[in-house]
Amino acid sequence: MPSQANQPLPDGYQLQSYRIMKMLSCGGFSIVYLAHDENDQPVAIKEYLPSSLALRHEGDALPSISEENLATFRYGMKCFFEEGRALARLSHPNVVRVLNFFRANETVYLVMRYERGRTLQEYIQARKGAIKENFIRRVFTLALNGLREVHANKLLHLDLKPANIYIRNDGTPVLIDFGAARQTLVQGGFKLNPMYTPGFAPPEQYKNRELLGPWSDMYSVGASMFACIAGVAPQASDLRMEKDRYVAATQLFAGRYSEQLLETIDWCLQLDHLKRPQSAMALQKVLLRERDPEIARKKSFVLNLRGALSRLARH
Amino acid sequence: MKFSIYQESRVGGRRENQDRVAYCYSRDAVVMIVADGMGGHLHGEVAAQIAVQFIAEAFQREATPKLADPVRFLLDSITNAHFAILDYAEVRRLLETPRTTCVACVVQDGVAYWAHVGDSRLYLVRDGRVEMQTKDHSRVQMLVDLGRLREEAVGVHPERNKIFNCLGQMTPPKVELSRRALLRHGDTIVLCTDGFWGPLGAREIGERLASGDVMHGVPQLMDLAEARGGAERDNLSVVAMTWADEVAEAGSWISTLAMETNEKTTKLSDWGKAAGEAQSHLTDDEIERAIDEIRSAIRKHSG
Ligand SMILES: Nc1ncnc2c1ncn2[C@@H]1O[C@H](COP(=O)(O)OP(=O)(O)OP(=O)(O)O)[C@@H](O)[C@H]1O
Ligand SMILES: [Mg+2]
Repeated sequence: MPSQANQPLPDGYQLQSYRIMKMLSCGGFSIVYLAHDENDQPVAIKEYLPSSLALRHEGDALPSISEENLATFRYGMKCFFEEGRALARLSHPNVVRVLNFFRANETVYLVMRYERGRTLQEYIQARKGAIKENFIRRVFTLALNGLREVHANKLLHLDLKPANIYIRNDGTPVLIDFGAARQTLVQGGFKLNPMYTPGFAPPEQYKNRELLGPWSDMYSVGASMFACIAGVAPQASDLRMEKDRYVAATQLFAGRYSEQLLETIDWCLQLDHLKRPQSAMALQKVLLRERDPEIARKKSFVLNLRGALSRLARH
Repeated sequence: MKFSIYQESRVGGRRENQDRVAYCYSRDAVVMIVADGMGGHLHGEVAAQIAVQFIAEAFQREATPKLADPVRFLLDSITNAHFAILDYAEVRRLLETPRTTCVACVVQDGVAYWAHVGDSRLYLVRDGRVEMQTKDHSRVQMLVDLGRLREEAVGVHPERNKIFNCLGQMTPPKVELSRRALLRHGDTIVLCTDGFWGPLGAREIGERLASGDVMHGVPQLMDLAEARGGAERDNLSVVAMTWADEVAEAGSWISTLAMETNEKTTKLSDWGKAAGEAQSHLTDDEIERAIDEIRSAIRKHSG
């Protein structure tokens, strides 16, 4: 069946104690809404509704699920539970916060704190790549904080990409969409395959899933940083395994970004998982190491100024 | 535990792949499973799917992180998989019960235990030779036992597909259990369907896997089997693991040392369409329980 888009719940719909305000996004696996809770506080609600299995028609709340698709629909629900389970265990400023989880309309809902901002993907599209080095370093250093928390909980994200890194209006990133944290158990039911996004997934995600580890998420971080600069993802890793056309970032973007940042990106994008940063912390350290010389200069200027002022004040 | 493991399932020259393979490991135990759904029967792939999934799920429940009794586990989970297939057929009012072969192997405390029903095989390869193997529950194997057929002729015999013991048959299957096999560093255990062993034979399998490099050796053997199988070649599937000493040098070993006691890693071959339908129904009860669990985790972790 071609994946038709699903009808979202109508604006104003009362979903238990939440009132739907509007649809934020409609993906192949789920729909995300902005809603208000009983205290009129905004929340984001993710509704499990794979369009290939469950279709909601205009004016209905209940989706129609054919007898034939019911088992697979429920199987996919298991994956959605995995996302809920993963997020429920994580409490970190750079990981989206889950507030509630419930069942209604023959499906299930994940309620999250509503974050104001936009995805890194939207930033990249608006600027066609060419995102500033400082922005990249800051956003990914913080995102890696979130990722460290994920890994510390024995989870892998496995679907990191600019569309799943949300930038709050204050500039801090928050990881969303743990749909793939469903981990290794899910070997892609035939009709539920929104799993990895070409270009951002490491080779071991296509084959040899037993090699998955924190380094797999590091590949995706590298690919996301690459996309920030290039505007597009690097060549998909399954194709790279056949014929690698990846041109080193150090070569492609020389002169426009610091050598060290470009080297770091190439490091993350190694096909051999052992040659990449092995942990979020290892990568973070490198991102923190070298600052833009411009910034370093400004900073020392400020420090000098402050020093001078404090000397003045003492006099 | 330290080991390297590889699995693959190919459709061969057929329209559908009715083979299923899986492995699953905890910190202290591994299970590998191969099932070959029977094509002559309706929904062979469903039977194979149920068998593999049923055993993998039983392992996930019971390996905490060790199995209390690996032999018992094999016997019970394979027998119960048979009943799960019968239940499936009954609920769906299928005219004919889907059927499948099954071979499964558990490794725990450095000892391998296996069990099989039908003509999917297990080989234990040591120093480039097949040291032990299962004996098929098939007519041709009976002919071999009676001295009326040479071992090497089994893979090409016209009646080679006739098996007299499988999951999903009317009477409960006879699960044949192995003895315990103490593993040595470099031993390779191969579980496979007849589409794989048929065109190859034990000697070649042993030689090709002498190095213990299952990651490269198995795909090479599959290529070979496919090349020999011709246009009519059967589905072919393998899961193979090479055992390593705890102190083995670094390499592409999986080490389970750092795993949590309740952690499991599972890999199942891709589900086909019918397989998706065979997914065990998540019952309303299970849904409620999952939701309760998530809600209590949210409460616990919201500080
Ligand atoms: N907590 C949130 N606050 C604000 N907006 C959100 C939040 N969560 C999700 N969104 C919006 O919804 C979009 C889709 O969310 P998400 O990535 O979780 O789902 P998805 O990609 O549709 O999921 P799947 O890949 O499982 O189909 C995001 O890009 C973002 O714009
Ligand atoms: Mg997303």
